[in-house]
Amino acid sequence: MKLISILDHLAAAPATAAPAPRRALLAQLGRAAVAALPLGAALPAAAAPADTSYDAVTQLLQLERTQVALYTQALAATGLIPAAQTADFQRLLAHQTQHAALFLKALQDAGAIVPALPRFDFSGKHGVATNPELFPNVLTNYDAFLALAQQLEDLSVRLYQTQSINISDSQLLRAALRIHAVEAQHSAHIRGLRKGRGAVVQNWPSEEDTAIVRPAAAQALTTAATGGEENGVQYVTPGVPIPFASLLLISTNTAIHDPALAEAFDEPVSSAAAQAALNLFV
Amino acid sequence: MSDHTFLPAWREQSLGRRVFLRVSAASAASVALIAAGCSGTTTTPTPADPYQLALPAGDSGLLYYAYLLALAQITLYQKVVDAPPTDLTTAERAVFADLRDHEVVHQKTISYLIDTTGATQLVPTDFVFNLSKFTLSTRAGVLAAAQQVADLVAAAYPVLLTLFTTSSVPQRTILLKMSSVQARQAAAVRDLLTPGSFANSDVVDSAGQLLTKTPTEVMTALAPYFAPYVISVASLAVPV
Repeated sequence: MKLISILDHLAAAPATAAPAPRRALLAQLGRAAVAALPLGAALPAAAAPADTSYDAVTQLLQLERTQVALYTQALAATGLIPAAQTADFQRLLAHQTQHAALFLKALQDAGAIVPALPRFDFSGKHGVATNPELFPNVLTNYDAFLALAQQLEDLSVRLYQTQSINISDSQLLRAALRIHAVEAQHSAHIRGLRKGRGAVVQNWPSEEDTAIVRPAAAQALTTAATGGEENGVQYVTPGVPIPFASLLLISTNTAIHDPALAEAFDEPVSSAAAQAALNLFV
Repeated sequence: MSDHTFLPAWREQSLGRRVFLRVSAASAASVALIAAGCSGTTTTPTPADPYQLALPAGDSGLLYYAYLLALAQITLYQKVVDAPPTDLTTAERAVFADLRDHEVVHQKTISYLIDTTGATQLVPTDFVFNLSKFTLSTRAGVLAAAQQVADLVAAAYPVLLTLFTTSSVPQRTILLKMSSVQARQAAAVRDLLTPGSFANSDVVDSAGQLLTKTPTEVMTALAPYFAPYVISVASLAVPV
């Protein structure tokens, strides 16, 4: 019963002074779950640098549910997705549905409480008609929809990267790493669709991409999707950056263009930044 | 320690060919035995076949593995950049230049992880990824070759990541950061060759997860292109 280890960290997590995002809520949920697990209390203490496995799985579940809802609503919106691309989005929906099912089952198998399915609102109005519309026309204008889909897929790649470090169960980790790659293919495809429609965008986040303009109140999405992707510094050990300046200088390929350095690495996103973005749609 | 043990191995070679990736005399001998047992074509009694390259055990072996994957990609993409088929569009040529650039960055990163001094020669001087089996004179041929290689590398990384045992979060993270870029590259190339073939059912399973390949599977697929060199991944950890 390997999936029980999802709760390893949670069972042993100390009440730190600086709790991870959503820790209070999750600890509350988790205690109920752990109570149902006879082995829970015997698990070793571990330094939890960020989220627990439980945090990771519930956040990934919310991410996948968000994408399932977006593609479901988009495919149901008459005239939004061109006929030639319907199959693409059916595939995207199928994959996200399969991913959501995996994490749902992981929580259920561990005896953990499963967060209720939120009611998603992609206008950014949080279901309140008088609230400002943060994402106009995303279910009526194809370009607006693609921009939102791209940002969620970019966020998805980055969040899997972040949370795979936090997933302690080896079986679930293998799945997360394989899903991470699939999300990257999704993102590359949607970026390609936008490129084909004239947007200045690469198949990978690039400083050459034209920024997707959002109102200030929706900036959390842009931050979570691509904020920090321009990072050109990578570390081998904490505080010791790889000396790209000298490494790439001696390259026999002298024509490397500058943005390639940052493009060659997708950057993780903090779970707090990701959560702020996901909260825009519930 | 392991960094230094690579050096004497090839310096001792007197045949004009440098053998790399050998951790110890013991492992070299075992590799030679494996080679003799498998192929039956070893004609000399020399303990180290100069064309037999054994990846070392542990994380360094995985890094060499990743290095070879980058080398294969760079060789292919550089060739396309240098001699693009006439029917490859300007936009597509730009994509290949980007792919080449990303892989050069990856290769430099990996070689730095293997040896921060840059003193170790990682491959023999005549070691190449041989492109002669590809058709690189047409757009279709170029994209087919690129998809074959890009799919293979994308499928390799999720397995490689799970085999990596270092507790160093930066090292694990840097490979993770490269793995999704490999998947992006594969999707980009797939969509160029066959629009809408990204994440298709030939590369993604019914659970929505990428179909992966073990080091053995990947190196078997690449073996014809690395000949006459034979890469042994026998020392690498076996995926569960």
